[in-house]
Amino acid sequence: MLFNSFAFLIFLPLFMIGYWSTRGRARLWVMFLASLVFYAWWDWRFLFLLLFSALVDYSLGLLLENEQDDPARHRLIVLSVVVNLGLLGFFKYFNFFADSAAQLSDALGLHVTWTTLRIVLPVGISFYVFKTMSYTIDVYRRTQRAEHDLLRFATFVVFFPELVAGPIVRASRLLPQLHRDHRFDYERALSGLTLICAGYVRKVVVADSLAPLVDVRFAHPEAHSALSLLIGVYFYAFQIYCDFSGYSSIAIGIARILGFDFGINFDRPYFSRSFSEFWTRWHISLSSWLRDYLYIPLGGNRGGTLFTFRNLMITMLLGGLWHGARWTFVAWGGLHGLYLVSQRLIGPAYQRVVKSLRVPRAASNAFLILLVFHLTCFAWVFFRAQSFQNAWQILTSIASMQDISFASVDNKILVLKGAMLIAGLLFVEVLTLRPREISPARRLAFAASCIWILLLFGSFSGNTFIYFQF
Amino acid sequence: MREAKRFAVWFALLAIVVIAGDRIGAFLCSRVLLGSQFRFSRVYRGGSNAEVLVIGDSRGVHSFYAPAIEQLTGRPALNLSFNSMSMPIAEALLADYLDHNPKPRMVLIETTCVVVDRGLVSELRTYAGLSKRLEALYAREHPHAAAAGRLFRLLPYDSEFFLRALMYLRRSDQDWINRNVIAPQLAAGPRGRWSPRPHPENLESLGRLVPMLQSRGIEVQLLIAPYHRSVMVDMNEIIQSVKRSVPGAHVLNYADAIEDSRYFADGVHMNADGSEAFLRMLCRDGVLRCRS
Repeated sequence: MLFNSFAFLIFLPLFMIGYWSTRGRARLWVMFLASLVFYAWWDWRFLFLLLFSALVDYSLGLLLENEQDDPARHRLIVLSVVVNLGLLGFFKYFNFFADSAAQLSDALGLHVTWTTLRIVLPVGISFYVFKTMSYTIDVYRRTQRAEHDLLRFATFVVFFPELVAGPIVRASRLLPQLHRDHRFDYERALSGLTLICAGYVRKVVVADSLAPLVDVRFAHPEAHSALSLLIGVYFYAFQIYCDFSGYSSIAIGIARILGFDFGINFDRPYFSRSFSEFWTRWHISLSSWLRDYLYIPLGGNRGGTLFTFRNLMITMLLGGLWHGARWTFVAWGGLHGLYLVSQRLIGPAYQRVVKSLRVPRAASNAFLILLVFHLTCFAWVFFRAQSFQNAWQILTSIASMQDISFASVDNKILVLKGAMLIAGLLFVEVLTLRPREISPARRLAFAASCIWILLLFGSFSGNTFIYFQF
Repeated sequence: MREAKRFAVWFALLAIVVIAGDRIGAFLCSRVLLGSQFRFSRVYRGGSNAEVLVIGDSRGVHSFYAPAIEQLTGRPALNLSFNSMSMPIAEALLADYLDHNPKPRMVLIETTCVVVDRGLVSELRTYAGLSKRLEALYAREHPHAAAAGRLFRLLPYDSEFFLRALMYLRRSDQDWINRNVIAPQLAAGPRGRWSPRPHPENLESLGRLVPMLQSRGIEVQLLIAPYHRSVMVDMNEIIQSVKRSVPGAHVLNYADAIEDSRYFADGVHMNADGSEAFLRMLCRDGVLRCRS
């Protein structure tokens, strides 16, 4: 079920009634069953996979807690990782690796036949596999107690607001909250509703308005001028940001109304002055997951400069691959890895130059924000392109600077609308830089404005969320 | 319970504010829409003195540059063409035009729009409140959206038409035409033969429209504007279908009339220079009565 579907508009109030009219285990059942309905709306057959994943990690969590023998515990955690990554590998990467192996064998002149399967990618598998895997790892590390109640654990895994596209809410945050019976809280409900409204504006107004303009440029770059393609790349940067941050905002808002705290998943990433800052502001739940379960276990920055660079590159390359079974995603991750490495190499020298030239801090910050944004956009080209050839065509067309007059841009009115929506978004982000108490009257004005903006500028074609495919 | 009641009161207030703002906003939008110089607003505001009307899809937009028609003929002209306009929409618009404005002397119809599907119908919501004909077309294709538009009055203004109405609030939209020249790689592109097929619904609509205009004493010209030579279009099926649907109709086929690439913005659309060259041809052939 999509958050921006008519079915969800019916589902959510019904769920709320069920949720607030129950207590204790009855409420857990409501959450569990409603989440299954939410997921089954897409394809009920994959419920079994979801429940299998939950059951495996529930059992392994209990075994890990009860087992005192270290080698045995080690075997259990390896089993958990193998099962989880095995599911992900089969459903998401089997054909990718088979195709890549076939291409490699062809290149080597071996001409081996590799079998590919018609596999449907289960929605949200990347998110729930990471969630359950981190649970068993935490139990293994003894930083998390195993959950003994199967219903509670299953609800933690399938909880619908964050099931299919995150944020990845870890057991250490969510499970303790599932042990409490939340009472309805007026302030939390208002703040949750405000987040939901803001999320819908990001998705339905900004992201979905930009989507057709981006799609047509990436599908037929040869039919567009350099300026038109450059606009397409900028628009994609904001489309993916608003699409995913919109989804996260709706998910976090729903959870807040229910009494849960998911944390934040995006924090104005395009105002970052460095790539390390960018990754503390973009998809925070994933970047912190990769930090805690990949980068630090690899050794982090504890083993010297080259060792740190290696760990950064591995983390970002695998982070890229997590997004999808395509080499362009790996290239995107690799570029971000290179950015992080370069930043560590050049950063100190840059600071010395700025200091010696007495460049004002505001000017330096503005330069860095623009630099980080444009390098991020460069990487987005690989993320969005269907192939390296497609990405290369777009980048070379932009670099050629042929026809950079606005007259060469198609759909000028819609492009202007997109630009105005982005300007509005950035304006609101600047306005809300300082967190402050918001009165109910202001929240009402904000929510009403969001609804009017949705009515006047929304795109109601029912576009799916980009991160569903990951 | 007290918290829930407070929330219910807040939510009820929100609903009242949203509905009130929706109605006020929709009223303001309707004033803006009618006050705009956008072509469709001019239809419904009334008072147009156009003697030459043009209708068609994007090829109509970029083949018949209204300021050039006015300059050549000395008569006021209004181009009502729009991207992806199908014939039922053209029929409804022209009928509405005659309801609100004095009749023109001549209507030029860019006939290749008989191949257009119903893409533009979704945009009609903006003017549906001003036209029973457009409202019927829209509600037939999008019944749920039409119902939603009656509940939330701002929804019909969520369209490209309204954005254009805003853009042309203070200036005429009749200068809308391609200014660029076809890219060399497109001009030299492979020549694929293309046989566009008319939609029966478009032909039926044209079959009603032409006699309706002629019965009011309006001269009607059915034209096919030039294509770039890289697009080899076989017009035979369109011409034969139109002749079957509109008895006595004569389609003036200029598809291959212009060779020079400088007159095209892409394979199927001319630019301002191309439009002027094409209009001069129409003058030369007596289709348009031009000043010497």
